[in-house]
Amino acid sequence: MTQSLLVSLLVLTIIKSVPIVYATLGGVISERSGVINIGLEGMMIAGAFTSVVISNLVTPSLGPAFGPLVGLIVGVGAGAFIGWVLGVAATKFKVDQIVAGIGINILCGGIAGYGTFLVFGLQGASPSVPALGGPNIGFLDLHAGATALLVFAFVCSMGLSWLIYKTPWGLRVQACGENPHAVKSAGLDPLKSRLRAVTISGALAGLGGAFLAIGELNLYSDGMTAGRGFIALAAVIFGRWTPWGATGAAVFFGFFEALETVLQGHVSWLPADAMQALPYVAALVALAGVTGRVRAPAADGVPF
Amino acid sequence: MRGIRKAYPGVVAVNGVDLDLYPGEIHALVGENGAGKSTLSNIAFGEVKADAGTVKANGSVGLVHQHFELVGRLRVWQNIVLGREPRKGLRIDEAAARAMVTALAAKNGLEIDPDAFVEDLPIGVQQRVELLRELEREPTVLLLDEPTAALAPAEIDAFFATITALAKRGTAIMIVTHKLQEVIAYSHKISVMRHGELVAKLDTYSTSVDDIARAMVGGDLPPVAEREPTTLAPCLTIDDVTAGTGAARADGVTLQVQSGEIVGIAGVEGNGQTALADAIAKMIDYEGVIGLDSKPAIVPQDRHREALVMSWSIVDNAVLGRQHDPGIQKGLLLDGTRARRDAEAIKERFDVRAANLDVAVKTLSGGNQQKIVVGRALIDDPKFVLAYNPTRGIDVGAAALVQSRLMQARNAGAAILLISFELDEILTLADRILVMYRGKVVGNFTRAQVDRAAIGRLMAGSAA
Amino acid sequence: MKRALNIARGPMVLTLLLVIVLMSIVMVIAGTTPWEGFASLLSGTLGGPREIAETLAQTTALLFPALGICLAFRAGLFNIGAEGQLLLGGLTAGAIGAHFAGPGWIAIPVVLASGFVGGALWGALAGWMKSRFNANEIISTLMLNYVALYLANYLVSGPLKSPVATGSETAPLPPSVWLPALVPDTRLTVALLIAIAIAVLLQFVFTRTVFGYELRALGEAPEAARRNHVNIGRLTWLVMGLSGAIAGLGGAAIVSGELHRFNTQLSPGYGFTAIAVALVGDLNPLWICLAAFGFGILEAGGLAMQASANIPEMAIHIIEGIIILVLAARRYVTTRVEVPAV
Repeated sequence: MTQSLLVSLLVLTIIKSVPIVYATLGGVISERSGVINIGLEGMMIAGAFTSVVISNLVTPSLGPAFGPLVGLIVGVGAGAFIGWVLGVAATKFKVDQIVAGIGINILCGGIAGYGTFLVFGLQGASPSVPALGGPNIGFLDLHAGATALLVFAFVCSMGLSWLIYKTPWGLRVQACGENPHAVKSAGLDPLKSRLRAVTISGALAGLGGAFLAIGELNLYSDGMTAGRGFIALAAVIFGRWTPWGATGAAVFFGFFEALETVLQGHVSWLPADAMQALPYVAALVALAGVTGRVRAPAADGVPF
Repeated sequence: MRGIRKAYPGVVAVNGVDLDLYPGEIHALVGENGAGKSTLSNIAFGEVKADAGTVKANGSVGLVHQHFELVGRLRVWQNIVLGREPRKGLRIDEAAARAMVTALAAKNGLEIDPDAFVEDLPIGVQQRVELLRELEREPTVLLLDEPTAALAPAEIDAFFATITALAKRGTAIMIVTHKLQEVIAYSHKISVMRHGELVAKLDTYSTSVDDIARAMVGGDLPPVAEREPTTLAPCLTIDDVTAGTGAARADGVTLQVQSGEIVGIAGVEGNGQTALADAIAKMIDYEGVIGLDSKPAIVPQDRHREALVMSWSIVDNAVLGRQHDPGIQKGLLLDGTRARRDAEAIKERFDVRAANLDVAVKTLSGGNQQKIVVGRALIDDPKFVLAYNPTRGIDVGAAALVQSRLMQARNAGAAILLISFELDEILTLADRILVMYRGKVVGNFTRAQVDRAAIGRLMAGSAA
Repeated sequence: MKRALNIARGPMVLTLLLVIVLMSIVMVIAGTTPWEGFASLLSGTLGGPREIAETLAQTTALLFPALGICLAFRAGLFNIGAEGQLLLGGLTAGAIGAHFAGPGWIAIPVVLASGFVGGALWGALAGWMKSRFNANEIISTLMLNYVALYLANYLVSGPLKSPVATGSETAPLPPSVWLPALVPDTRLTVALLIAIAIAVLLQFVFTRTVFGYELRALGEAPEAARRNHVNIGRLTWLVMGLSGAIAGLGGAAIVSGELHRFNTQLSPGYGFTAIAVALVGDLNPLWICLAAFGFGILEAGGLAMQASANIPEMAIHIIEGIIILVLAARRYVTTRVEVPAV
């Protein structure tokens, strides 16, 4: 009995951490280039909402295999677009990145909320939509499509690590985040690098949101991202701004989410609300434990 | 360069300058702080666009900045190849990059460890990295902005050996500097700037330090206040103080400063001065004993970050650091009238040129900003003053005034610890001169015993 | 020392235009013309004494957290947790108010004070985390928002659940504890006057006190503050605590004045809208009062639109988000000055 509980805990941890992993990888690449991305939550919302709407729209014509896939792609595009908006605000208009990120979160929440009403005629949540399909992967209890996304998340983690530490592009991004003047002296354009990095971070966050919407839950509802974009930021710090570290941190936070689902009904002395609050408390504790002793990229948040 | 003109809000930095650089020639661009030299070299490099005029170069132009533009958390080789990374497919060919850096360093007679992290290197070595980065691009014109500011005398010789060899190989070199001795020793031609204009073109062989200095200032240098006899009494004792971490820490420093004297600490940047200063200011932890029974007045080395709130007015800045003093804090309130009175007093005594007391200090020149900082430090007649590079980056007139006021404070009985990277400043002001090297005090001279050459050797780490 | 609003005139005008355009779009989508839409918006929010009272009630609800946010932002502390602080302030007020027996003139201050304390604790917690651990306050205050929600939910479903009501809420507050209404039978209470008084007080604190001087220094030049006898650690949690306290007071005002009980639906996101209010008010307490009124019209109008045209409240968030984005650009418009290299 306990063994199957542990297995489902493990499996659920991985599943629950996927959206956070995507978002936190986005956070890493953005901050490494020097842009603080508080808007990850909004980009996740954009990805979630858009993928639901598009999937619902095109599945009738394209079929249950391709419909959600298109929804996914457009969802990623939506996230990338919002990332691009933040990037332009940060590089061309040199705004206060934190304030802009807050604005983006509120804006995306509003667009998604109003959009749900416009498209589905409902307030608060959309109806069930076609989700990523494929045969059910037994022990994961997930469709093949969602499973692919799950694996891809960790592939992205490896890929981002390789990209940052081994390629010229990665070196330049690192330099942008530490000292953009050095990049300019080297004859490159740090603003373009930053814009690209933030757009990619939006795409990743959008992917995480899309996974949540059409991979896991099959709908969009207000507040479904539940602050994961912010937990992802805590994961960036906890993971010391490295792709693998952040991924590990994301899984750590995902564990608490999984814990809540698994323990439901089994542990009666712990109130449900306390369990739901666990991931957030974990993030708080992690933040307290680690931030004094780590260093952000030196030019993080500083407009160039 | 022909007819270069560049204006910023409130000031014309460069006003109609023509300048030619020839291969094989070392051309010195001199002028006091604020004359426009850095702006001109930034325009020559292309980092800043001139409002008018043309820049033509026969090949590429490199610039070694005064404040290095390196990425501390990356390695030496990464900094040098940034933007021109050798590739192996999609990745960086690290072995090729390292080899290339080592070869480049050897070719120019410089020693460097390609794998070291730049932030761990002493400043003199960091400069080598910046230099190598520019040389990697094989520029036909190389500009150097205050290249020897952070070098010890021995390192300066090595540096100029490299530069002279480079010139012989055909590079056109321009050095922006205010170190006139080096100009006389190593340059071929000299251009003097004053208030944005080129006021003199000199041949190094036919001129002297005094001629250049006079051209820079447009007259004789303003005098510093007279030194007067004082009665000494103990004030500050520093006993075996260790502070800070890494190469730039202070290591077992022992010294005393008495009322009525100025003790100067000479040394190259990065030898523990900042750690010592921060320990005295109680900004960092330290081991050992610092005995001082009054509140120190501090003139920090970085007025923009450490001494002023740039967006605030002179009035508001006049009470920064003093907001809890009796007379200024009344219960929960801040006495605004008193703040204004103090600001007025500072403006008077320190000749601060500003339209009124309510302008934001960021609109003032560096010299005026520094005068406010020093004025504020001295306004309450402190018993002890720590002045760290008090005249860095300000024009000669402001520098002379600041030095005069410090001397007057000393005459009136204050104990002053002066830390400066400009040996001349120490020699002008100090009653006793100490030298710091690698965190330790390695030399102790009175005014009578001053031996410039010996001090220079100590600064570089050799025996006196 | 008062930051002039005119330096940001460009974006303010742009913002106003954007708001009008966006609202027009929403109206058209909903099936009315902008002309009709704005007419009904204005009549619905300002058309008569009851309408104005409702608008002012929304203004009050926004003003409290906006002032708290203003205090924190001026010190360079990004308090995004006003929503949670407001909630906890309301919770404490509701819990204490439901069981406090005493005449109005003692009870009301006690209830308000408990809201103040509740919000203060929540804000100071984040402030302490920042000064002790250098924990990023943006993330910590956001996390605390969620924790506050679950904590409040747990308490009103369990230990504090009302014995008389069916839903999850505290016991109703006795009328002696209700804030007196300014206009009878409306949601507008004396809380508005309290909020305005706090605004005036804040402005005084900023300009005339040592505390205000130090917190402004911290916000504008943290390293200079550190080196000039400003106790940053203490100032951080003190400012965050006060910021949360003011927001908590707002929650208490809603509990005591409008709902007469506490439940977790007490705020439709006032704590977040308040961020926009604080920015539109240029982080100046007096201008914030005006900005709160403008947003009060939007909120009241939003409620009206929800009631009549079934448009979700979320639509207002679109407008707020854009306002915040545009105002974030304020830095570009006003301070893009090249600094000469010396």
